[in-house]
Amino acid sequence: MSLSDVLSPFSAWKNLFRDPVTIPDPLNDRPGAPRYRGFHQNDIEKCIGCGTCEAICQNAAIDMVAVAEIATKPGDSGLRPRIDYGRCCWCALCVDVCMTSSLSMSNEYKWVDHDPDAFCFIPGVDLKHWDSSELGYRRPEGHRLTGIERVAMGELEPEVRADSFVEIVAGYDLEQAKLEADRCVSCGLCVATCPTHMAVPEYIATIRDGDYEQGVRLLYQTNPFSNVCGRVCTHRCETSCAARHEGDPIAIRWLKRHIIDQVTHDRIKQIAAEGRVSKPSGHQVAIIGAGPAGLTAAFDLAKAGHGVTVFEALPAPGGMMRYGIPEYRLPYDKLDEDVDVIRSMGVEIRCNTRVGEDISIDQLREQHDTVLLSIGLHQGRSTRIPGSEHEDVVSAVELLRRITFGERFDVPTTVAVIGGGNVAMDIARSLARMQRQQHGQVGVTLVALEAEDLMLADREEIDEAREEGVVIIPSRGPRQCLIERDALTGLETVHCVSVFDDQGRFAPNYDDSDIQIHDAGLIVEAIGQAADHAFLGESLTEALEWERNRIRIDADGRTSESWLWAAGDAVQGPDVITAVAAGHRIAASMMEAFAGTSAQTH
Amino acid sequence: MRDLYDRLKTAFPLGELTEQRPDLAFVTVAKEQLRSLLLHLRDQEGFTHLVLLTAVDWLEEGNFQLTYLMNNRLACRDLGVRVMLPRDPASMDSIHDLWPTAATYQRELREMFGIDFPGSPRVDEDFILEGWIRTPPYRRDFDTLKFSDEVFAPRPGRASSDPTEFMKQQLYPDKT
Repeated sequence: MSLSDVLSPFSAWKNLFRDPVTIPDPLNDRPGAPRYRGFHQNDIEKCIGCGTCEAICQNAAIDMVAVAEIATKPGDSGLRPRIDYGRCCWCALCVDVCMTSSLSMSNEYKWVDHDPDAFCFIPGVDLKHWDSSELGYRRPEGHRLTGIERVAMGELEPEVRADSFVEIVAGYDLEQAKLEADRCVSCGLCVATCPTHMAVPEYIATIRDGDYEQGVRLLYQTNPFSNVCGRVCTHRCETSCAARHEGDPIAIRWLKRHIIDQVTHDRIKQIAAEGRVSKPSGHQVAIIGAGPAGLTAAFDLAKAGHGVTVFEALPAPGGMMRYGIPEYRLPYDKLDEDVDVIRSMGVEIRCNTRVGEDISIDQLREQHDTVLLSIGLHQGRSTRIPGSEHEDVVSAVELLRRITFGERFDVPTTVAVIGGGNVAMDIARSLARMQRQQHGQVGVTLVALEAEDLMLADREEIDEAREEGVVIIPSRGPRQCLIERDALTGLETVHCVSVFDDQGRFAPNYDDSDIQIHDAGLIVEAIGQAADHAFLGESLTEALEWERNRIRIDADGRTSESWLWAAGDAVQGPDVITAVAAGHRIAASMMEAFAGTSAQTH
Repeated sequence: MRDLYDRLKTAFPLGELTEQRPDLAFVTVAKEQLRSLLLHLRDQEGFTHLVLLTAVDWLEEGNFQLTYLMNNRLACRDLGVRVMLPRDPASMDSIHDLWPTAATYQRELREMFGIDFPGSPRVDEDFILEGWIRTPPYRRDFDTLKFSDEVFAPRPGRASSDPTEFMKQQLYPDKT
């Protein structure tokens, strides 16, 4: 017998002072392991009802069901997952794929019930005692089934683009687009947010499949301006994207552009013409204004066999897409392609034809069954500050129009832009380019009423403007234009403390002690636009119902006159895609009006 | 673990060492070398205990991975020995003569993955799946949904809504 054999019974005594590892009451207290995949938990406030858990479930154990107390809203379907424990195999793929990490599993594993249907339940809604359990399976840090980061878009560097109107954004190549498309979980939450409800998951799927013609077909079902929207859309869809909760939203806009970039223009025309009614209906429609609202309505109506004539005051069609958006964001030839497809449906566009001068609205009414007003907002608003009547104080829309015309006017070395929205950025960046071309340097100061984080322009516009040398000063209110011996010399601004009052009304509050002078040989006002309704004439203006400065329309875009519809920025802003949606609505409404009535004889 | 790995490498062609914890690491060895490596670990290196034997189905690569987890009680450390085998037909030498418990693991793997271990006691008898005639269920090409649909009656009252369609009904029902 060795010494250790003698001592070992006593060495066990040292364990007396350690915490026991055995469970004192094993019959009642048997917790699952800390990362046990037990019964589900769902944080229903975090859950967005995207249904990705249902899609990944290998056993079809999950249903998406409506829950009374949860409302459907943009970015949240209002549905919540219900799990059938008769089918669940606790693989936890639903937890791993969950786009918001709302879904998890507790370490609880005991559940006894006499009613088999009790095991089909909505976690987080049908309350359970394990709902607040801290332990259980969570998706491990860094473990993701879907890509978190957006595929970076190739863009011209500031030093290359700063003196050029060449398009900045390169567009995805095939490989980049596939990678980005692969991040999409096809939940479709974005579809409701898109004003024209584009079939986003379906067209993104065509990129994964490499079936670009089908992609174009899907785009044209809801939007005849995919070249335009693929470049300049405000992409509100991306604010509803499930991927944005724990990563970058899918680059939906760039993927749309990628699809339309892959198919030849002639083939796009063929695809867009599919289903076109070749037999004329005999109905005639006049559309005033060849912007996105008017041309979308024209596309739908012409495709259905109705006669459409678009009257455009300016030399080329496109409206603000051509005369407002600078070429470096939307090249004219891409806009031309979209318009050409619309023309190929049989739409006649009469440019340089201003209603009220070249033809009267009464004539249009006499010669057509219906008329659409889609005239846009082409008049700049003025600040009306002292000195703003000077000839070198101009509106942004007028200047942008002149740039599109190709006028090569001289830009002074110093320019002040008043306004913090996207139009202000457009003109500031355009003038900065011209200054660089003419003087080799930039001297644009942009003053915005809003504070930096409240400015209305898109963040990327603000950042890119700064990269190109535009000096952006937030929280400045314009006070007066400074004029010396008839020449404009600068802009005086004061600090703007707040823009809105307690009730949320526009009521800027200034600190008069904080004054700045910005040198300016040219001042551009970009504080908003108005429509020019003068051509309507007195009697029609009287007859129409108005809502402040806008013609009143109903949900279908009808005015109070039975023959007249209105759409676009002039009645309902703010962007191209909203105008496209309105164009579809109006075409449908007009066609409803045509149904059952015979065409007028003209 | 690096010291052990360096010693083993002099006698066996091993893959990379994967150190998961200070007391847990994995090595890969060719199918033909497994038996002699396990014997060496048991008799020379103190890894006397077979903790478990399990498999992973690398369907895309056409392989099964077997993991023999060995424990050295005195040194308080574990070494996982991994072997890759072709998926079809999947067959591996039995080690039930080295550790009798291996027979049970091998019988389970035979049933759940369809990996054969010729000569292993009762290897072809049902383990827990009585009368199973389908694809072994742990193979990744086993379609659990199809199986559930065929074998179990659908639960009454189950229905699901598509988020896109549901949002349309709720938010813009009148539009086509």
